[in-house]
Amino acid sequence: MSATADGVPFEPVPPGAGQRRSVLRGIVSSPSGLFGATLTATLVVVAVFAPALAPYDPFGIDGPVLHPPSGTHLLGTDALGRDVFSGVIHGTRTSLLIAGTVGALVLLIGSFVGAVSGYAGRWADDVLMRLTEAFQVLPRFFLAIVVIAFFGPGVDRLIIVLGCTSWPMLARLVRAEVLSLKQREFVAAAQAHGASSVRVVVREILPNALPPAIALLGLILAQVILIEASLGFIGLGDPNAMSWGYLANTAQRFLRVAWWLPLFPGLAILLAVLGLNLLGDALTEALGGRR
Amino acid sequence: MTTAPALRVEDLRVTAGHDRGARDVVRGVSFDIATGEALGLVGESGSGKSMTIRSIIGLLPPAVTMTGVVRLGDLDVTGLTEAAMRRVRGDRIGVVFQDPRSHINPLRTVGDFLVEQLVTVRRVHPGDAMRRAEALLLDVGISDASRRLRQRPYELSGGLLQRVMIASVLLAEPDVVLADEPTTALDTTIQEEVMAILDEERRKRDLAMLFVSHDLDLAGAVCDHIAVMKDGVIVERLPASAMRTSAREPYTTTLMNARPHWHTEATVTATDAGQHSPAAPSSPPDEALLDVHDLRKVYRVRKAAARGHDDLVAVDSASFSLPEGGSLAIVGESGSGKTTLARMLVGLTSPTSGEIRLDGRPVSMGRLSTRQRRQRGRALQMVFQDPYSSLDRRQTVGSCLSEVLRLHTSLSSEQRRRRVAELVEQVGLPSRHAEARPRSLSGGERQRVAIARALAAEPRALVLDEAVSALDVSIQAQVLALLERLRRDLGVALLFISHDLPVVRRLCDDVVVMHRGLVVECGLVLDVLAAPRCAYTQRLIDSVPRDGWRPRRRGRDGLSTATDLTRSS
Repeated sequence: MSATADGVPFEPVPPGAGQRRSVLRGIVSSPSGLFGATLTATLVVVAVFAPALAPYDPFGIDGPVLHPPSGTHLLGTDALGRDVFSGVIHGTRTSLLIAGTVGALVLLIGSFVGAVSGYAGRWADDVLMRLTEAFQVLPRFFLAIVVIAFFGPGVDRLIIVLGCTSWPMLARLVRAEVLSLKQREFVAAAQAHGASSVRVVVREILPNALPPAIALLGLILAQVILIEASLGFIGLGDPNAMSWGYLANTAQRFLRVAWWLPLFPGLAILLAVLGLNLLGDALTEALGGRR
Repeated sequence: MTTAPALRVEDLRVTAGHDRGARDVVRGVSFDIATGEALGLVGESGSGKSMTIRSIIGLLPPAVTMTGVVRLGDLDVTGLTEAAMRRVRGDRIGVVFQDPRSHINPLRTVGDFLVEQLVTVRRVHPGDAMRRAEALLLDVGISDASRRLRQRPYELSGGLLQRVMIASVLLAEPDVVLADEPTTALDTTIQEEVMAILDEERRKRDLAMLFVSHDLDLAGAVCDHIAVMKDGVIVERLPASAMRTSAREPYTTTLMNARPHWHTEATVTATDAGQHSPAAPSSPPDEALLDVHDLRKVYRVRKAAARGHDDLVAVDSASFSLPEGGSLAIVGESGSGKTTLARMLVGLTSPTSGEIRLDGRPVSMGRLSTRQRRQRGRALQMVFQDPYSSLDRRQTVGSCLSEVLRLHTSLSSEQRRRRVAELVEQVGLPSRHAEARPRSLSGGERQRVAIARALAAEPRALVLDEAVSALDVSIQAQVLALLERLRRDLGVALLFISHDLPVVRRLCDDVVVMHRGLVVECGLVLDVLAAPRCAYTQRLIDSVPRDGWRPRRRGRDGLSTATDLTRSS
């Protein structure tokens, strides 16, 4: 073939199937993924519009004491006559606020530590990985109890404690991704052009390393919600913020007389954890299949 | 016995996907292979040759369906149950796959792998099976067979593993052997060894063989007939001996002519003569764009069992020079240090010792700072072998090029966009490809994008590391034409690293031959290929498949080029 072969017609480019669209399709295509995504999305909507959705003030005394579910009080009332339905709705807000902020914190710390550790290697890797291991062995729940015992209950300190202790898994995953990505030739090409290390990591490596990390994040957040609820249940939650754990805590003394008190907050926790887990799994599947 | 052919395939059709997304991969393929006969199935990627093989052994991926008839002698295997098919696979058909390393369990010894089928299916006594395996390893040219049986796959080179694979097939005494690109991943000298063994053993045992390959010359050398496949159909069937003279189909001729024709005589044609400068490659350094002197890279590898380090010499004293606008080939097999050399030149790896001069000025040899790397990048740019891993799949072509422009220039975003369009067109792609992501591009198009990315820095030389090896032959020809045009129009020098002598002969003026990290020969391509002074160069030249070529076993010398632990990267 001679030089005339150069510049032959090319087959048309298939219309750029948007990357995001195909991920979404990947999640929704499996029944469990669809279920998880719907559940999580519903919870987010409920959390955002909680004041509009809740018929009563969650802390206000709006009716008869320990009234079973009825038309006026969908999920019944508690020992002080507060509406459980409104409590569960507002509890979604607290749980998701905590999960969301912790998630952001985990993603920030985890991907920073993972990226630096994986890309820099050598002593930085050693130091950061030992640090990660040190954090990984901290008993999260116990630490949260200790902090609350010292500084008193509060959403802010809970976020800080959980955020600072939940990142090691994510950091290790990001590090592993970075280790394999930095050997790839497109990274070498960027280096050969003289791109700085920060640029290589931020522009070339991290965008490729994050998808699996985000899938893992869903699973981490499910744990965070559980821990928050557990703390509330043993009475260490923020008394000024309505939460599922708090509701379950107030239900403790009436387990045998008012079944609706523990059931509905418990159900909410179950659905949130289930939704995040399924979404995490589906994300892993959808992102993993396209490598 | 009847005279039924050993393998008969009738109207094979393979469809991938369901309903709307369904695609016909094989569209009505039929052929017969008689006992003792070899058929070469030749085609480019996507032609359906691998799917044909997988349909015959009944191992199609999920969501792929087939119709048609596959007969082994008198047995119709298409209607068999999975259990019966397993029996056929072990007993009557053997398959040699392309990549032996991924087809042999890395945790088990070579011996275990070889005897498994005999012991579990045929109920042969393990001791007997092992003795037979050992005898066969000797047959396929593995001399210290008893030691090899106890080793694990990672301790063997690719060439040795492929022999083990062949032995494992022969051990089951099948009637039919299917070979799916068995030597594509191997160096040409090793390829010759392995093909010689396969060819010899097949003839000795009177086996029918279906040999699938993209290499027309190689298939012609070991087969009786050639079937050329394109888009799921066999377009032409030829006797291998008269392949070149009897081809009628345009596609067959295209395929034949896509590869640079190989002739070692120093027939300097008019165009050749015009291109070559009279200066020897070792011209005075002051004229040279790039001058490399005694470059050396030693890796320290931790010893396996004992304390301390071993030195692994990747590049041992390489010296050559590349004239401004010239074209120099660095030739050698995998493990000869070519890639390490390329990485040292563009500053991705720091040399242990030696000197690199750009325009006669020595460049810094240690770990480069960002600024130094950028400076080096404006002189030398690298194009990598695999266009699939050398492009970020998340970035569009435009944003990838734009990113590079941002590093090297201070153009405004509008100017950058225009320059991107220019670059895309310069490498022969329509400008709308700037919006495309690598995923929607073919291998050849991706490699063009990779070249455009290198050109974005306006370098004075491109370092091409096996840049066309992964491409189909017709695409390869197009990319080579592109490189020639870029050299002519932009005056960019080419440092072409390759193991492929015919391609080197077509593209380059000068050549440096490397063997185990050492430069063993250098000079004008035409001189070196016509009259090599070094035995190793001769050996390389002899192993190139061409008209009338037959693979030959070259004994220990051929073997020793692949020491067991220096595997291909």
